[in-house]
Amino acid sequence: MTVAILASDLVKSYTPGLRALDGVSLQVTSGEVLVVMGPSGSGKSTLIRTFNGLETLDSGELDVLGVRLDAAHEERQVRAIRRRVGMVFQQFNLFPHLSILENITLAPIKVQKRSKPDAAARAIALLDQMGIGEQAHKFPAQLSGGQQQRVAIARALALDPEVMLFDEPTSALDPERVKEVLDAMRQLAKRGMTMVVVTHELGFAREVADRVMFMDQGQVVETSDPQTFFTSAREERSRRFLSQMM
Amino acid sequence: MNRWLDRSITLLILALIGWAGWSLLHWLLVGADWSVVTTNLPLYAVGSFPADQRWRPLLWMAVLITLTLLTLVGPKRGWVRRWLPLAWIAMAPLGLWLLAGGLGLLPVGTRSWGGLTLTLLLTGGSGALALPLGILLALGRRSDLPVLRWSSAGYIELMRAVPLIAVLFFGQLLIPLFLPPGLEINRVLRAVVAFALFAAAYIAEDVRGGLQAIPPTQREAAAVLGLSPVQTLQLVVLPQALRIALPSLTNQAVGLLQNTSLMAILGLVELLGISRSLLANPAFIGRYLEVYLWLAAVYWLACTAMALLARHLEFQLDPVRSSR
Ligand SMILES: Nc1ncnc2c1ncn2[C@@H]1O[C@H](COP(=O)(O)OP(=O)(O)OP(=O)(O)O)[C@@H](O)[C@H]1O
Ligand SMILES: [Mg+2]
Repeated sequence: MTVAILASDLVKSYTPGLRALDGVSLQVTSGEVLVVMGPSGSGKSTLIRTFNGLETLDSGELDVLGVRLDAAHEERQVRAIRRRVGMVFQQFNLFPHLSILENITLAPIKVQKRSKPDAAARAIALLDQMGIGEQAHKFPAQLSGGQQQRVAIARALALDPEVMLFDEPTSALDPERVKEVLDAMRQLAKRGMTMVVVTHELGFAREVADRVMFMDQGQVVETSDPQTFFTSAREERSRRFLSQMM
Repeated sequence: MNRWLDRSITLLILALIGWAGWSLLHWLLVGADWSVVTTNLPLYAVGSFPADQRWRPLLWMAVLITLTLLTLVGPKRGWVRRWLPLAWIAMAPLGLWLLAGGLGLLPVGTRSWGGLTLTLLLTGGSGALALPLGILLALGRRSDLPVLRWSSAGYIELMRAVPLIAVLFFGQLLIPLFLPPGLEINRVLRAVVAFALFAAAYIAEDVRGGLQAIPPTQREAAAVLGLSPVQTLQLVVLPQALRIALPSLTNQAVGLLQNTSLMAILGLVELLGISRSLLANPAFIGRYLEVYLWLAAVYWLACTAMALLARHLEFQLDPVRSSR
């Protein structure tokens, strides 16, 4: 078992005296699906955004795929990590001026220097896998939210990442569109992708997660397997959160 | 009561409009002497370009008109459509070559350039210089480096506080001072450079508006895909920002065309300059109304063509509409 992400004692504050991350330590092994839950403002987004250098750290040690992303991280190292770590946002963040196909092939062509036909073939295969192969030549504004989010997943996968980060990927979707995105993520997990998923989808967590991590006020409250977490959470704070969710 | 007042006001206005229209028509057809326009058409078109070389500016304008028509009402797909952008880009160098000569053509000094040809070349030349400069200024104004940010902002504010005519005069006087002695650049080029320096400040503000409209999440999305900051700018941010700024950039372009008339004061014989020199000719004494009406019509036509082209570009660049 190799370690994909190793973090110890991460600290980060945006405003002095207010810690968004307050000594977070965790480990994600390759092939594992870690679901992160917690109330609003508990630091979930901040945490996974440090994993690809979108946020810098104040202190702590962070090792992603063997590359150190510490308090004093370097731009070059961050860029190297970003090619190997895919990320999907709550608001999809597709490029509105590019077609679906161009959205997906942009980075493979410009960053990995793949040939256009090569990148396009791969993009079509990924879109088929997401069940939206026929949308390749449309533009983001012409797609539903669920379809856009699946394009965003395909766009991240096109770089053949070793780890995928998801920050509330279904929170901006209409309820009837949530399932299609979760199904795509489920498939991905089945193929052995290493995933860190911030989500409030209890069903998904129960079924797909290898472990569930519960955060509150910038700290890790507990980390358990989903069976334990959902039936007999150790901590009072976790139980209160769960009772509000259900 | 009120209804009667409304009606009589309406009738009065209609009568006024009818009377004015009738007098204008009468003057246009009977009173006006259009010989000042008809006998000088070549001058309006190409200025005092040597008669045996006139085909050169005329050819350039013919190509320009053809391109305009092809763009606006030409085939919607196929190779013509695909080559149009390149053809448009080639128009400025083509115009310069045809007018200035060299490379197999007889050289013609800028003193002989004039008329509509010069107006269009001044517009195109200064626009082509001002756009990249304006984009750089807009980026500088949003830069992380304070020096860059302040100097860009300072430049923009300064240029926007000075009237164009002053910038043009300064350009004529100051640009030679910055050049090594012996190297002299001619009046037309100096005017184009000064004009571009001025227009760039306004373009920068329009582009800045476009840049501000791009949510930071777009940069983030590009960053997590491993795109470098330069690639992010070039492939994600600028294409979107320029598209947003396009309507106001169109206004700038039309303003640019109209403001070339200020160069008549510097002694350039573009459309307005030619007209003024014609009015100074004893043969056409007092023909102000004819000349300025004609001038207004030519400017109107050129500006309308530009506005139509810009609207076409806006449509082409809208991914969703043009893909239907
Ligand atoms: N860019 C920022 N500037 C200042 N404070 C921030 C910024 N981003 C987050 N914070 C603060 O950091 C803390 C953690 O925020 P974070 O977004 O990580 O929470 P979260 O668990 O993702 O919440 P949510 O469920 O609402 O997305 C919050 O107190 C938040 O107000
Ligand atoms: Mg969040």
